[in-house]
Amino acid sequence: MEEKGRIGIPRSLMFYRYFPLWKVFFEELGWRVIVSDGLGKRGKIIYFEDSCLPMKLLVTHSINLRGKVDHLFVPRLVSLHRSYIMCPKFRGAPDIVRLATEGTVSILDETIDLRTREHSMLRSFLKTGKRLGADEKEGKRAFQKAERFFINFQKGWENRINVLSSKDLFQFDIPTSSEKNISPPPRPRQGEAEGELAGEDKREGGYGRLYSPPPLPAPRLRQAGSPSPVKGGGKDIGETSMRVAFIGHPYNLFDTDVNKDILSFAKNLGMRIITPDSLSEKEIDAQVSDLSKEIYWSSGREIVGSLFHFLSGGVDGAIFLTSFKCGIDALLQEFIRRRLKLKGGTSIPLLVLSLDEHSGREGLTTRLEAFKDVIEERKRN
Amino acid sequence: MKVTFPHLGTMHIFCKAIAETAQIPYVVPPETSRKTLTLGVLHSNESICLPFKIILGNFIEALQMGADTIVMVGSGPPCRLGLYDLVQKAILEDMGLHYRWLTIPPRLTLQAIWKNYKETKELKKELSWKNILLFPYGLRMGWKKMMACEALEKLAMKVRPREVKKGETQKHLKKALSGVDEARTLRTLNDALQKGKAILQMTGQDFSRIPLKIAIVGELYTVMDPHINRGVEQKLGELGAEVTRTSWFSTHILRSLRKNKADQNSERIRFFEASKAYLGYDVGAECNLSIGEAIVRSKEGYDGVVHLMPFACMPETTASGILTRVGKDWDIPILTLILDEQEIEGRIQTLLEAFVEMLQWKRKAA
Repeated sequence: MEEKGRIGIPRSLMFYRYFPLWKVFFEELGWRVIVSDGLGKRGKIIYFEDSCLPMKLLVTHSINLRGKVDHLFVPRLVSLHRSYIMCPKFRGAPDIVRLATEGTVSILDETIDLRTREHSMLRSFLKTGKRLGADEKEGKRAFQKAERFFINFQKGWENRINVLSSKDLFQFDIPTSSEKNISPPPRPRQGEAEGELAGEDKREGGYGRLYSPPPLPAPRLRQAGSPSPVKGGGKDIGETSMRVAFIGHPYNLFDTDVNKDILSFAKNLGMRIITPDSLSEKEIDAQVSDLSKEIYWSSGREIVGSLFHFLSGGVDGAIFLTSFKCGIDALLQEFIRRRLKLKGGTSIPLLVLSLDEHSGREGLTTRLEAFKDVIEERKRN
Repeated sequence: MKVTFPHLGTMHIFCKAIAETAQIPYVVPPETSRKTLTLGVLHSNESICLPFKIILGNFIEALQMGADTIVMVGSGPPCRLGLYDLVQKAILEDMGLHYRWLTIPPRLTLQAIWKNYKETKELKKELSWKNILLFPYGLRMGWKKMMACEALEKLAMKVRPREVKKGETQKHLKKALSGVDEARTLRTLNDALQKGKAILQMTGQDFSRIPLKIAIVGELYTVMDPHINRGVEQKLGELGAEVTRTSWFSTHILRSLRKNKADQNSERIRFFEASKAYLGYDVGAECNLSIGEAIVRSKEGYDGVVHLMPFACMPETTASGILTRVGKDWDIPILTLILDEQEIEGRIQTLLEAFVEMLQWKRKAA
């Protein structure tokens, strides 16, 4: 298919969860997706506002893409859950990017608010598709393919984290369009039928199905050409290794500019990484539903719920990664600490790492090594 | 039962009035001081916003003075204010303090009633029928006192830039407010208000001055409480600027009651509309209004805007980024002050002096 143009996606914030969905959607519509480069070793952060590091990186990456793309994709993420919301900073993010890039690039900033029916994920993407000149049918088809791919991608996520190096986490092949033609003819028809069904689904459920995988035919997820193994991956990451839960916002966990690639270091130390993605919503809810007030941020809920879940057993240690100045984490961190104490503490070690642009790799590795020693000592006793 | 409530500007005056009129025993926490702040900082972490620390400090001090029931106004998402109670409860419990907690929900929803049900039931046992009967009367008294306080404060903002003897207005304002505080009936309250106004007018004023006009915008706690903002309003006034702000108790209470939508909120709606050129969505709390107000004030010919926010405040961080551009586009100087527990009173004084001086040059040049 001929390339219609280029869409730039900043490598920051919710890129670290939804990139597969976004990429497949735009490529299905015939656009080429360009992702900003990482900061690298001497990368300069551009300070437009005095926010948390991930937010500063959004601006930096957006400016990095300016001039290289026709459109910049910075959706206004109000809510990614049927009843909980995102951090308020996400609501102003497209505006901040617009001001920082001084209006030199067109920004695709459709609102995604899964709490309301008319703004459900599909509708928002249809609007984006419309701006790119795709009609509703094309948009729907592209979105459904993207969603299916994304759900499958999510299933293989934990394995990916532990097998691939951090920079390859979001390298993947999408079944190409030529392959689509080879695939059995019933598929498009099936797709249409599904489309209608999915439409029904949405009207009833009122939100995208990202949290409840529908019984769709499983697409073949094809692993990237040759996943480069983790450095020093010769170590046996098997039953005997430590299971360590890494908890935090996805962009803190997977953005190597934020966490200085702490995950690969952890893997080199022989830790098996477990993330909240492996928990179901039910398991998380079970930990937080008895609070005197609902935690209304979906990410905050996930953090508190998964942390309490993991600390009640199943892992050898838990690490909470937070960005300095993150309002949600600051408040909930205090809450977690107090509640743990009130509940009589936990025997599972917990490490809280606060990250910002000044954190050095050495400091993080030292603490991680010490943490490993604590876990091993505990295992021995 | 002894009720207590946090400090916020003149809030203690009318909270006290409600409790007193309804004959409910209460404890007013000691005036916010360095010690209050230290207590709050000690029991929270660095990135939590300043209002949280001060309110927590107020509660700790009040509980130590014998209060046992905390009444706190709740708020909704997306700002952190909505979860203050959840975290503060955990902290107080962990400290081993005994308390009961009543959150006044911002909106009466089923969920809010359900989550408050247990506390309310328990409190009901301790209230006599007399308390309950007198409560509406207490609310009325509280409301009147609040309006009286606001009227006096607004008058003081006008008088202050013209005062001849520096600091005289503040002294008179204190006297006038304590008069309101002492009033027991509606009639004496009215007298106290008139008397207070007269006291303020007695301040020696130089009417030949044309004061600068500065608007204070930003997060409501930092705008309304002189302890949190280190008296920015008073300092600006004494430097010769007439200050305006739109954050008052009445505006916020009426807003959450959704009363007088067309009338009371017209100003807020105007600000909100103005902010749309920069922000495509309601970010929450006062973010959009801070931006909108700066634009509107620039159109109205104000000389400058002071933007106040607590360190790491989520909505206002977005606002401060955008305000730098607003200032350029609309040619209005904007000073953003980020407040936290650091001892920065001297620094604020210097910043404000420089800001006011700059505005005066700008006015002369024009």
